[in-house]
Amino acid sequence: MKKLYTLVLALLLVQIVQAQETFPVNDVKDQRSGTYAFINATIYVDYQTKVENATLLIKDGKVVNSGANITIPRGYTTVDLKGKYIYPSMIDMYTNYGLPKVERRRGGFGGPEQIQSKTKGAYNGNEAIKPEYNAYEQFEPNDKTAGGLRKAGFGTVMTFRPDGIARGTSAVVTLAKGTPNSVMLKSAAAAHYSFSKGTSRQNYPSSAMGFVSLLRQTYMDAQWYGSLRDKPFTDKSLDAWISNQSLPQVFDTRGWRAFVRADKVGDEFGVQYIIRGNGDEYKRVSLIKGTNARVILPIAFPEAFNVDDAIETSRLSLQDLKHWELAPINPGVLEANGVDFAITSEGLKKTSDFWPNLRKAVSNGLSKETALKALTSTPANYLNMGGILGDLRGGKVANFIITSGDLFERGTTIYENWIQGQKFIINDINVTDHSGNYMLAIGSNEYPLEVSGKAGKHKMKFKVNDSTDVTVTAKLDGELINMTYKMKGQKGETRLAGWLKTKTGADRGWKGRGQLPNGDWINWEASFASVLEAKDTKGSGGKVREADEEKGRVIFPFVAYGSENVPQQETLLIKNATVWTNEADGILQNTDVLIENGKISKIGKNLSARGAREIDGTGKHLTAGIIDEHSHIAADGINDVATNSGMVRIGDVVNPEHIGIYRALGGGVTAAQILHGSANPIGGQSALIKLRWGLGPEEMKIRNADGFIKFALGENVKRSRSNNSVRYPQTRMGVEQVYVDAFSAARDYEKEWNAYNKLSARDKANATKPRQDLAMDAMVEILNSRRYITCHSYVQSEINMLMKVADRFGFKVNTFTHILEGYKVADKMAAHGVGGSTFSDWWSYKWEVRYAIPYGPALMHNEGVVVALNSDSGELIRRLNQEAAKAVKYGDISEEDALKMVTLNPAKLLHLDDRMGSVKVGKDGDVVLWTDHPLSIYAKAEKTIVDGTVYYDLQRDLELREQIKTEKARIIAKMKGAAKPGGGGRKPFGRDVLEMECETLVDAEFWNH
Amino acid sequence: MKLIRNIFLALLVANSAWAQYSVIPGEAQSKPILLKGAVAHIGNGQVIQNSIIGFDQGKLTLVGDATTARVDESGYEVIDVSGKHAYPGFILPNTNLGLTEVSAVRHTRDNQERGNLNPNVRSIVAYNTDSELIPTLRFNGVLTAQTTPQSGTISGSSSIVQLDAWNWEDAVLKMDESIHMNWPSKISRRFDFTSFSFQTQNNKNYGTQVDELKQLFSEAKNYSELSGRPTNLKLEALVGLFDGSKILQIHVNQAKEIVESVKMAKEMGVQKIVLEGAREVMLVKDFVKDNNIPVILRNLHTTPSSNDLDIDISYKMPYLLHQAGIKYCIGFSSGGGTSYAARNLPFTAGTAAAYGLTPEQALTAITLSTAQIIGIDDQLGSLEDGKDATLFISEGDALDMRTNKLTHAFIQGRKVKLTGMQQELYEKYKNKYGHGQD
Repeated sequence: MKKLYTLVLALLLVQIVQAQETFPVNDVKDQRSGTYAFINATIYVDYQTKVENATLLIKDGKVVNSGANITIPRGYTTVDLKGKYIYPSMIDMYTNYGLPKVERRRGGFGGPEQIQSKTKGAYNGNEAIKPEYNAYEQFEPNDKTAGGLRKAGFGTVMTFRPDGIARGTSAVVTLAKGTPNSVMLKSAAAAHYSFSKGTSRQNYPSSAMGFVSLLRQTYMDAQWYGSLRDKPFTDKSLDAWISNQSLPQVFDTRGWRAFVRADKVGDEFGVQYIIRGNGDEYKRVSLIKGTNARVILPIAFPEAFNVDDAIETSRLSLQDLKHWELAPINPGVLEANGVDFAITSEGLKKTSDFWPNLRKAVSNGLSKETALKALTSTPANYLNMGGILGDLRGGKVANFIITSGDLFERGTTIYENWIQGQKFIINDINVTDHSGNYMLAIGSNEYPLEVSGKAGKHKMKFKVNDSTDVTVTAKLDGELINMTYKMKGQKGETRLAGWLKTKTGADRGWKGRGQLPNGDWINWEASFASVLEAKDTKGSGGKVREADEEKGRVIFPFVAYGSENVPQQETLLIKNATVWTNEADGILQNTDVLIENGKISKIGKNLSARGAREIDGTGKHLTAGIIDEHSHIAADGINDVATNSGMVRIGDVVNPEHIGIYRALGGGVTAAQILHGSANPIGGQSALIKLRWGLGPEEMKIRNADGFIKFALGENVKRSRSNNSVRYPQTRMGVEQVYVDAFSAARDYEKEWNAYNKLSARDKANATKPRQDLAMDAMVEILNSRRYITCHSYVQSEINMLMKVADRFGFKVNTFTHILEGYKVADKMAAHGVGGSTFSDWWSYKWEVRYAIPYGPALMHNEGVVVALNSDSGELIRRLNQEAAKAVKYGDISEEDALKMVTLNPAKLLHLDDRMGSVKVGKDGDVVLWTDHPLSIYAKAEKTIVDGTVYYDLQRDLELREQIKTEKARIIAKMKGAAKPGGGGRKPFGRDVLEMECETLVDAEFWNH
Repeated sequence: MKLIRNIFLALLVANSAWAQYSVIPGEAQSKPILLKGAVAHIGNGQVIQNSIIGFDQGKLTLVGDATTARVDESGYEVIDVSGKHAYPGFILPNTNLGLTEVSAVRHTRDNQERGNLNPNVRSIVAYNTDSELIPTLRFNGVLTAQTTPQSGTISGSSSIVQLDAWNWEDAVLKMDESIHMNWPSKISRRFDFTSFSFQTQNNKNYGTQVDELKQLFSEAKNYSELSGRPTNLKLEALVGLFDGSKILQIHVNQAKEIVESVKMAKEMGVQKIVLEGAREVMLVKDFVKDNNIPVILRNLHTTPSSNDLDIDISYKMPYLLHQAGIKYCIGFSSGGGTSYAARNLPFTAGTAAAYGLTPEQALTAITLSTAQIIGIDDQLGSLEDGKDATLFISEGDALDMRTNKLTHAFIQGRKVKLTGMQQELYEKYKNKYGHGQD
């Protein structure tokens, strides 16, 4: 037996060594053709062409021919596959197969900043830009990894190194044995990108928006560098970047927002990425479809949580529960929406989960045809390798699998996986189905023996005296059999060894010799008696198919308080309210306000409008929606870290699923400026949004709003809290120099471009084109009053300084935000024309706010400065009306003026006062109905209306709470049924929102590892 | 040398806030005072619409209805406060007031001693009566505080102080009254970048951390029972817990940890237990109620700790506890110390009133209940005869920022100066700009 085994192994080894002509041989030449004819099989020639009774011919690792009615030439070994299926083997275009593991570099956070790249050689200035890397340089076949993939039916993979924002090229290799040379089908297959800087410890970029900016800048740099005849410097990264552009461009994203974000970067530069999705695309499938991107789709569905512990289970979030339930519909949803995708095994905990998960996707709406396509021809085509991979037509690489039946049915076995003509046995193809009832004769005793289960995995038991079951441990090994069992009341086991009589026919069964517990040898025989009766319980009518089960619906946004149907715009008539107009009319009693088509259309008494929903405002107050001039909700990141981060844009990372939006609506907020943080003298560009809860990131943005940018002064920008900081500037003196330097450079930059742009086409061709710099573009916009500064500021010296810098360069600072010592230079601010967006009563949390006083808003207001009160907090944004009340308490501002500080004045500072900030005919229908005097602690927003759409309603809020409760209970009950017995499953975890403020610095890499 | 010293002194004067030189503690009450006509909010839920309040030698001698009470006004300094509102001084529990001046500046932080088990450290000796935060609290009616150390697993002893004093000996009302224990959490948080939110995960060290505490307490118990042992300051500091002379304030938020911490303390023989934080208390409300454990809530003005929670969960916590029949009061901690913002304590009570409580119940939650929970209700917490004359007069509802405007404040009968550096800066710049001088 062992000898036989060794022999088979030796044969296999001989077979797989494929000689390469250019390599030395340490033996005699042994080159073979591997000619095989597989006959009588059901062959999927491609994902949609199924041929019964077909033949597949292979030779030299290639398909010669396939289909029905094929004559077998001489010299072919015939393999009869009657009843078996052949499929092209699977292609996984997203692996790191055969590449060294990327070692994460620790540290870097809180330590001294790394401003420059530390990559050796003439490469890019940013360590995360590594387009020069090629997977083929480090690739080495790894039989262990390959074995796992082969077991799952894969024959070919694309492999790349997951390191950097630009990651270089991948290679396409087969999972055959051999040298890197023999298994590599394509050396530079695709160029890879991501939103993760990998091993780079260089500080910039550290946020999602920084990743976008760095990519945009690198595209521009590459175009510029490539266009120069005399290059001013050597950058081998840019050289590689340029040459990689002809390859398929593959982008790694984690989550649908990053998916859409990546596509947007590509759109700007005429690149359509193939995007590695995250399995959550169903949450916003319309946006995914809108990208037109081709997708590499993982099928790593989340494991059920262990829901046995009531307290721990109570922390599970709706979004995680719903995702558990809905993740398997993702591939089907994409298919139904016409999104093209390849499927990858990447992301799975174990490769062996691949088929169970894929079948789950199939039972949840994915068609078998698309599933097969996504694993064969689609990846082949994405890789531009449709000529040699993806189907089994003549000339293709002979990569195929032999299965027991339809791949997508539960219980189908993969027998063999042939790769480049090499045979890999996954499961013995020769196993016979022995199931049936037998009569087992042992010595003189006879027992009825039941052989059940699948071929190759049979279970056996026999009955003693028609009652006691004895379980038999049986090992079937081709022609041989071994059985052991223990009779009740006996010491020791009986061991039977024997051989197959025949495989089929009425006289099938086994016979042989055996040894009883007492050591006596006996004869035994098992003779076939009858076929097994089919069991009803697990038959077709038994278990409900998953697809038929009740499933929750997708909600918008996909978090708590999202809903299946997003609120719609209505014609609203608010009757008989106390209306704070913020206009010359002041506060109007018993007044009606009509909102139509998203705009305020009438204000008056006894109004009526056909089709309008009437809202009783009796005893209530109606004000303009609250506007927060300074917020950090609704963004996937707030700070990047370059001293001049003028190139980064919050607009790239708007997060419409942030619960802070809904909570702010609950506080009567309708619009906000989402500002970059205060980590740098020149921060990033703002996003102005309306709180349209449920809509997508772009729909949140206020259309045709002016551009704003965050500047910051003081302790944060000089990194006062980091003892190890080395970043320039470290003092307020240096901060001024950063500004003067940036604006001087911007002037020169603008001049250089103006000169270039004035040249004739011919002169342009001969001139050196200036380099476009995204940060400088922002500076030029500021100089030309096309972008406006909101500057985080505290002490009077620096406030004064920035106004003087602005004067010197001929522009105005738009807003000082926080501006806690603004009261000391209120006269100078008024003269400059800058607004102040401040805290009502924050102070003493750091040194530079030591002399902040709650009278600041009043002093600035009385000096003629436009004053707003801002939150910089996910909590305070819910109570800005109360902050306004404090301006009355501290400084005796009139109540009307105080309310303006959170409505009309921030609208003015954001240049939105022509459409927001007051209750006036023609302005946006952004209003709040309060239960009480809006400046009172007892007032609650009863309805918060944006563009005539009720996005928050006190009553509806209660309904949503109830929905959250029942939906969670429903899924938890279902999860309990799905969890493995014995307390298996994921430990439940809670999900807490990240509350961001100015100083929130979330370094993607730090948090990830 | 002398010159140098003078220059140094001058520098000091210029550098440290000059406001301190004008903020002078009130003089001891020399004459009985009678406040007439205020709407008196007693603190125990009662309201007297037209009240008469008398006090002498720092103690309340008379709280009554002006329409019925007959008082001989001779000998009193009578102050007419008709139409205004009288309140007992608000009490701020569990605060780093006086210990931390500017949290971001290490030099000004005295609230966190190094080490993990510090039952022996005492906040009172570091309490800075000249903290410039104090006048801002008084300005809105906060007149008493529990100054509390805040680090490690056992942070030390707190003391109760009145907010108008020359030095900590004058300030102290009750010294070393509570030991503060930060109970470990079973879960920690991990940031998930894909969803840009936190995920909780298990704290693997929980068992060890709890065991360390158990050992400390049982050693302390032994120490209290056996004599002649070598002095151990840490154990000695805990002894008062076993005879009820000290309160154990347990800072804990999660449900299971609430149960385990209280059980441990009870098993060890701790007599008086108070929970602080207790965010998940509603999940184990019967346990807390059955064991008669009072709760000090944190700053209500915070966002819910996870996405799915009711958006007003923090605002309505007092109401939920009220309904559950659990003794509670409202504090202003946010886990660490945010005493710079604690002047907003009354408005958090206002929020509690907007979200379920009656205004008088909300008032009790920052006056009498607090006094009871931290063990000073014999002296403070309500306008009742015999208690300290620590009270104030406001133009309107003091729980609403719209109407909270103090006109008078008294601590132990002393007239307290309400203004401080911030008001002086206001005046300075009003003058500069000529505002309000028509």
